[in-house]
Amino acid sequence: MTASGLLRHESVLAALIILALAILAMLSDRFFTPENLLNQGRLMAEVGLVALAMTFVIVTGGIDLSVGSILGLTAILFGVFWQNVGMPLPVAMLAAVASGTLAGLGNGLIITRFSVPPLIATLATLALYRGLAEGISQARSVRGYPEWFFFFGQGEVLGVPFQLWVLAIATAVCAIILGLTPFGRATYAIGANETAARFSGIRVSATKLWIYAGAGFLAALAAIIFVSRVTTTRSDMGTGLELDVITGVVLGGTSIFGGRGTIVGTALGLVLIQALKNGLALSGVKGDGTIVVIGVVLIVAILVSAIIDRNRGG
Amino acid sequence: MTKLTVAVALCLGLMSGTAFAASAWTGGDDLPTSPLSCDGAAAAPAAKPYDGAEPSSAPDRAGKNITVVDIPKLIGIGYFNATSKGIQEAATELGNVEAKTDGPTKANIDEQITFIDNYITSGVDGILFAANDPVAIAPVLKKALSKGILVVGYDANSTPDARQWFVNQAEFNGIAKSLLDNMAKEIGEDGAFAIVTSTFTTPNQARWIAEMAAYAAACHPKMKWLETVEAQEDNNLSFNQATTLINKHGDELKGIFGMTSVATPASAEAVTQAGKCGQIAVVGLATPNAMKPYVEKDCVKSVVLWNPVDLGYAALQVMRAVADQSLKPGATTVKAGKLGDLQVINGSEILLGPPFTFTKENIGQFDF
Repeated sequence: MTASGLLRHESVLAALIILALAILAMLSDRFFTPENLLNQGRLMAEVGLVALAMTFVIVTGGIDLSVGSILGLTAILFGVFWQNVGMPLPVAMLAAVASGTLAGLGNGLIITRFSVPPLIATLATLALYRGLAEGISQARSVRGYPEWFFFFGQGEVLGVPFQLWVLAIATAVCAIILGLTPFGRATYAIGANETAARFSGIRVSATKLWIYAGAGFLAALAAIIFVSRVTTTRSDMGTGLELDVITGVVLGGTSIFGGRGTIVGTALGLVLIQALKNGLALSGVKGDGTIVVIGVVLIVAILVSAIIDRNRGG
Repeated sequence: MTKLTVAVALCLGLMSGTAFAASAWTGGDDLPTSPLSCDGAAAAPAAKPYDGAEPSSAPDRAGKNITVVDIPKLIGIGYFNATSKGIQEAATELGNVEAKTDGPTKANIDEQITFIDNYITSGVDGILFAANDPVAIAPVLKKALSKGILVVGYDANSTPDARQWFVNQAEFNGIAKSLLDNMAKEIGEDGAFAIVTSTFTTPNQARWIAEMAAYAAACHPKMKWLETVEAQEDNNLSFNQATTLINKHGDELKGIFGMTSVATPASAEAVTQAGKCGQIAVVGLATPNAMKPYVEKDCVKSVVLWNPVDLGYAALQVMRAVADQSLKPGATTVKAGKLGDLQVINGSEILLGPPFTFTKENIGQFDF
């Protein structure tokens, strides 16, 4: 698979997005307004952050099903550190993000040290981390955060939601790392052929550890933003998040078998899904109808790019 | 000196009363409880000033056609189908309200928030909601109010400052009393029982359990609570949990409370399959249709609930009254069509009425 092949999928996606935006803007005059688009950016920030990390994970040929549970666990730990342990809020925030990163590192250790397939390992930690979150929280919510804390989830900088800045910066950093650095090339190499990568002197285990820890870190960051946005902490936060994230990444052209995928693709995939969800809702389509359309678009996008690939190859 | 001692003891007693507010039973919340008196004498409703919010710069909608969207916790289950039916009944009767129901297919806080956010952007006149989380939903409801949209809750409340009115299907202490009195009647004052709930954090269930614990301590002190188990709102899980309770506690277990409309029929099924009909009583919240088979077989004697169709009907009537400015802060009653005058309680809540106990004699008259 070559770079031009990847660009093809992204071109298909970009065309789809323009088409979708045009149709949705015609269906509802409230869709294509700066206010609505910025608000949608706010709503997609959490899924977006996690999807960046998931792109790396899937490019290595892995998967991380535990990201939603890590988000839930981090949210609960953040609340508990602040309210029950009595840490000042900023310290609790750092400690919670560190814990989330450790949870991701835990995934990486299980996968690399014991050669457990990522699907199995993170399926186990999906249950484990969610169980911990429910156990630690004693099924009680933590509420009553100070007003300044809501800035992270509800505030604006220069008229743009705070978390959209975070997402933009994280996207740029991830795009540079994956596209332009030796670390990024190692990530692709592992996904394309792990054995070959190992014999080429690439530190496979260390790279994977970094990637799974990174997934934990970004899920933890998303947790803080989520708690700030909804002003409360619950142990069921982030349930099912992994599916939204994987959908975005796969729609963005990242191969589930590893070895190919880009951050730009993931970003386009996420934008398309969010635009469809919001635009269809605004034009009066009910929730169940929206899910059907997203399923159809996912299949069409992947079929179209597969057909283009095959024709080019043959 | 004696007086001082008594005073100190009294103070300590009161203090500990508030300090140890956490529920004595697992699955209860830690908010203060207000158990009713044992003989059911209604306490005079405490006058409380309006504590709901007001939309900012709402246009005059009196007598005009309005569009209202109803966003329940989730769609596609019998209970919210029934409230949605009541909303449509009220809309047809009023003639000047266009109402539709939309929402997530799972009881998920984030999805519900997104739905509400999208309807704010699409520009509706009013939002009816049943909250998945009272605090998490507050920011988006406040946003709706800030755009001049009318916000009325039903079934599951938000924080009062995030909505105008809340239609309360039954007061928590009323449900708690009804459940425990029925259970005591069936298993005696010294029986032991267990509870099957949704999750320990689900707001309504947690509130009921806390109120039940407080009412039991005051009025049925010899009844023994064994444990509370979580079964989400999952049919299969509820059945398994109830079966586990029956096997685990053996003959000691005399009764099971079902706290959700899923847990109650599943518990009744578990008791039936264990061949314990008549030995283990099932008392709980459920819709009549789900319970008819068990009630007709005499396996279940009392089912406690309100009428969800009436609840939806009242919610839309209240929304119309708010739009017409006929329900304003400080009001003590509101006219709700065929339901007559409903009472305002707790500052900004509208009480649907006392809970209803379905028995073998009357359950045949209901179909929902």
